[in-house]
Amino acid sequence: MPELPPKKVGIVTCSGEELPEGTVTRLAALRVLEQLRPGETVTICLPLFLAGGEGDRAFAKFYPTIAIDGCDKRCAYYGTTRYSNEPAASLVITDLVKKHGLDKPDGLRKLNKAGLQAVEMAAHEMAAQVDSILGKSWNRARGEFGQSNNIEQPEETTTATCSCGSGIPITKLNISNQEITVVGLPLIFETFQEKDKEPSAATLDEIMDMVKIYNHIEIDAEPALRAEIQKGYEAYFRKNEK
Amino acid sequence: MNRATKVNIVPCSGIGKSFGSVSRLAAYYITEDDRPAETEMVPLALLVLGDKETNDTVLSNSSISLDGCKLQCAKKMIGECGGQIARDLVVLDVYRDHRDLKPAGIAELNEAGEKLARALADKVDPIIDQTLGKTGEGKNA
Repeated sequence: MPELPPKKVGIVTCSGEELPEGTVTRLAALRVLEQLRPGETVTICLPLFLAGGEGDRAFAKFYPTIAIDGCDKRCAYYGTTRYSNEPAASLVITDLVKKHGLDKPDGLRKLNKAGLQAVEMAAHEMAAQVDSILGKSWNRARGEFGQSNNIEQPEETTTATCSCGSGIPITKLNISNQEITVVGLPLIFETFQEKDKEPSAATLDEIMDMVKIYNHIEIDAEPALRAEIQKGYEAYFRKNEK
Repeated sequence: MNRATKVNIVPCSGIGKSFGSVSRLAAYYITEDDRPAETEMVPLALLVLGDKETNDTVLSNSSISLDGCKLQCAKKMIGECGGQIARDLVVLDVYRDHRDLKPAGIAELNEAGEKLARALADKVDPIIDQTLGKTGEGKNA
């Protein structure tokens, strides 16, 4: 059965190859992705918002995102906002260094002590942002989440989960002459069809609940969107009827 | 006629795969160790943002893209900015010639990954000469 990916937090780094602070962003992100919150985070390369497909550009619509930047140009934050969606949280290394009174990070390939300290601080700050976004509390003694607010625990992994080219499926609907992108709709339809859920008001309620997990829907737009999704699911169900 | 004095080296910003780290390390080998005076590292993030100074750099000199995967973000971004690509290289193609050098690790590459980055940098070396029109003159002329 097709499954929608569990809700995770996307981490987008500037990667700034020309600045030690850029190296800090990369290493801090990897620390979170691989060690601190491996099951709860996923990443994508920033340039894919331009160089990739529509599925890549849907990344920050699908995942609440943390942008981590090396300097105040904030390429990751503004790039993500411009081409995908506004990040849920952000972090700038130069600000973090100043705030904690660290020495300036140095070394593009191998960071100095201050750079490594900045990596640790940034990684822990991001991990806290991940918990806050997912509404979870991290138990430091047990190394696992405590109470979860009805969010399914994803499987643990030990390698960074890279979403490049994964292409999150999207559907574009025309609502009152305005194009609305609905993230994950093809998979949602497939899931319901495979469960043999006939089109009905109750099924539509369930579909809309799932759509809302992955999409922000303006209250004003909901009735028209609901009607379009109903039409879409009826057509999909009839076409794929067993 | 003015001859170009620098070549842009544009690695991908790959963060989730070892091949991305190889492209970045190769770029550091080239711009910091091998040919610092004749090359300039161009960070992709600034191209994504449309930073004017970085765009001008890409438009002023030819670029060599070093991509970690077949999606070739670096090559595509140079093209998007209207820059001239002297050569587009993909780490996987170099790996095909060096099957013994299987890269592992992202934050810290294994020894094979470092050697693969070295092989990629070595492949770029003559391309820099060619691009700067230095073939036959000695590379540091």
